Amino acid sequence: MLSRVADSVFWMARYLERTDNVLRLLRTDYIASQDEILNFDWQSVTDTLSTKSETPIVVTSYREALYHLVLNKDHDASVFTNIVRVRENARSVQDYITKELWQCLNDYYHIVRDPHTEDLLLQQDPVTALDMLLRESIIFYGTVEVTMNRGDGYTFLNLGKYTERSLQSLDLLEMKWDVADEVTEPVSWKYLLYALSGFEFHTKFYKNALQTEDVIHQVLFNNQFPHSVSYSLSQIDRYFQRLKETSLTDNFKEMEFLAGKMVKDIQYTMVNRKDSVAVRELIIATRNQILNFSHKLTTLYFGYT
Amino acid sequence: MPFSTLLTDYKTPPNVWDEMCDQQAIRSHYQVFLQSLKNDSIAELVKKNELAKKLFMSQGITFTVYSDGEGIEKIFPFDILPRIITATEWSIIERGIKQRVKALNIFLADVYHDQFIIKDGKIPAALILSCPNFMKEMVGVDVSHGIYTHISGIDLIRDSDGSFYVLEDNLRTPSGVSYMLENRSMTYRIFPGSLPKNNVRSVKDYPDLLLKNLMALSKRAISNPTVVLLTPGIYNSAYFEHTTLARLMGVELVEGRDLVVDNAKVYMKTTAGLKQVDVIYRRVDDDFLDPLVFNPKSMLGVPGLYFAFRSGNVAIINAPGNGVADDKAVYPYVPEMIKYYLNEEPILKTVPTYSMSDPEHFSLVFSQINKMVIKKTNESGGYGMLMGNAVTENEVAEYKKEVEKNPRQFIAQPIISLSTVPCFIDNKIQPRHVDLRPFALYGPQGIEIVPGGLTRVALHEGSLVVNSSQGGGSKDTWVLAG
Repeated sequence: MLSRVADSVFWMARYLERTDNVLRLLRTDYIASQDEILNFDWQSVTDTLSTKSETPIVVTSYREALYHLVLNKDHDASVFTNIVRVRENARSVQDYITKELWQCLNDYYHIVRDPHTEDLLLQQDPVTALDMLLRESIIFYGTVEVTMNRGDGYTFLNLGKYTERSLQSLDLLEMKWDVADEVTEPVSWKYLLYALSGFEFHTKFYKNALQTEDVIHQVLFNNQFPHSVSYSLSQIDRYFQRLKETSLTDNFKEMEFLAGKMVKDIQYTMVNRKDSVAVRELIIATRNQILNFSHKLTTLYFGYT
Repeated sequence: MPFSTLLTDYKTPPNVWDEMCDQQAIRSHYQVFLQSLKNDSIAELVKKNELAKKLFMSQGITFTVYSDGEGIEKIFPFDILPRIITATEWSIIERGIKQRVKALNIFLADVYHDQFIIKDGKIPAALILSCPNFMKEMVGVDVSHGIYTHISGIDLIRDSDGSFYVLEDNLRTPSGVSYMLENRSMTYRIFPGSLPKNNVRSVKDYPDLLLKNLMALSKRAISNPTVVLLTPGIYNSAYFEHTTLARLMGVELVEGRDLVVDNAKVYMKTTAGLKQVDVIYRRVDDDFLDPLVFNPKSMLGVPGLYFAFRSGNVAIINAPGNGVADDKAVYPYVPEMIKYYLNEEPILKTVPTYSMSDPEHFSLVFSQINKMVIKKTNESGGYGMLMGNAVTENEVAEYKKEVEKNPRQFIAQPIISLSTVPCFIDNKIQPRHVDLRPFALYGPQGIEIVPGGLTRVALHEGSLVVNSSQGGGSKDTWVLAG
């Protein structure tokens, strides 16, 4: 497929996955702020989710935070801005994604812009608004599965999705770890897992609920958990193999090595999960590998300028 | 009048052909459709209108307007009531367009080679050579199968006597076919069962037919030549059409930056390296095709494309240089072309056209300005024209100065009262002026015209400007099977 199209499809998926993660995080944080974590630090969440180059936004309430992080058209990291990016990327490859997918993204865009959504989010029950938006992500993924042919477009879409997912899981783990202290750690972990749709899984899989090393295991290493870093990286490796027939040999070999190493490094790590310093180093190293992989993919497969 | 509850507000302007009503009677070809509406109230039609809007929104069927302050795209206005054409009327249109396109094609071949029509004094040499779209780079160039006008949109209007006139030819990058296809798919959602009941001919073969023609133009003798659609990109007003056609034909939609010319062959940049391209259906204007030969500031084209084309390694559709044949100043000579090349009388009439570079015509036009429309010969989209019956004296004086500066760039025609059709506007059925753009496809096997086309409607009451960039909309066009 055209390099430019592959690039657009890859980034369309990355922005959508990012949106999906941010919405779940906000939903979880909002519920936490209403329930267990009083004096919830919305400023910290806003700062973390904003890009470094932007003028810092000051928020004093959940309404302001939700406005900036979901609806603010001028905020680079808002859900609105991300959905516009998803749609623009999709628009420029409309002939490649299916008509159903394009319609689905159009609907998503119109819901974000709808005054009713803003009213729910800022004046009424934010959870309803966030659920409405989250539902659109689910519809998107379903439409992809049902309508897209299993060619290179589908492959690049999944590469984008799992690249972003692995980065989001790493970022979220770090974010929640940073704000937790010994006393609040279990509550932080609970909400981290909710944000990753992993709390129920955790209670079933790990008997001693919410121990730090178990949470780290789930988020970093557990291949049965679809939001774990290990699972996401193994999906990247799996989908990348599909490009073998349609790639230039040298490019494929170079990327295959990077993907394989990325997966094996996390699967066969000897890190002690009780050693927080070592785990943090692993998070940083893994993130760097993923970013390097993404950068190489861009150079070798998407280079068209 | 029958159907009086629905048609209480239907008052046709005087001296205008109304396609539904003849005096107070409903023409026979509209009766079946109106009969099916009989049980619908205005409230039902309002619901159908809302459904249509919702469907257009969710499908992103848009039209980009260049100087619109609201944003870069608008939903293309669509009127739910179909415009209906009889089989007899269509057969005249079809024969007329085939004749016209054939003659225009021969004219292009002639004017870029031996120029017999000029040497025989049928068309002034100065007119052709002064045409900004006469492309010297095409002189002596042979094109695949001798076809220049692979895709044409011929704009037709109907005068008060009911006869069809050609308003203008569009032979470069005619647009609107995707709306023709989308409008049809709206109709079966809004008026279920109406298409089979009215025995309407299908338009869905257009993409297949076009693809077949495009593939036949490849010079490489391979079974699966690479065809691409070259688009200027998402900011082009017709981008929606480019994506629709690319998707329906299953061809790659490329921008200039996706292509590269190496050794006089065109390649596209793919994830698997470079892949040779055989046929380019380009929706980029001539001047922007190749910055090495034409406009050097163009970012939309491909450096070296012209040389690849001249070398015969890639086919370009429509051929470059067609603008000399759809120049409004050349338009009055088309009947002569038909007689000269085909030895036939023109089937479709042309509107009397006055050249502003002729002093007699100039005086005549400005002395009767309130009955005239003046147009720039090389503008489209309805821009740059003067409707003499809708302007002040000052506006006329200003415009006259422009014409005097460069009279070759202007022509004038008497204002024709376009025919009217029923439209559902402001919750009432009211008449509005329309034109018709059928699309002709010219391939190695001949010329085919999809039964229907795009009916463009001037949505403002009394307006005769149908262009979408100036507030026009469109309707589904039904050609009955007889």
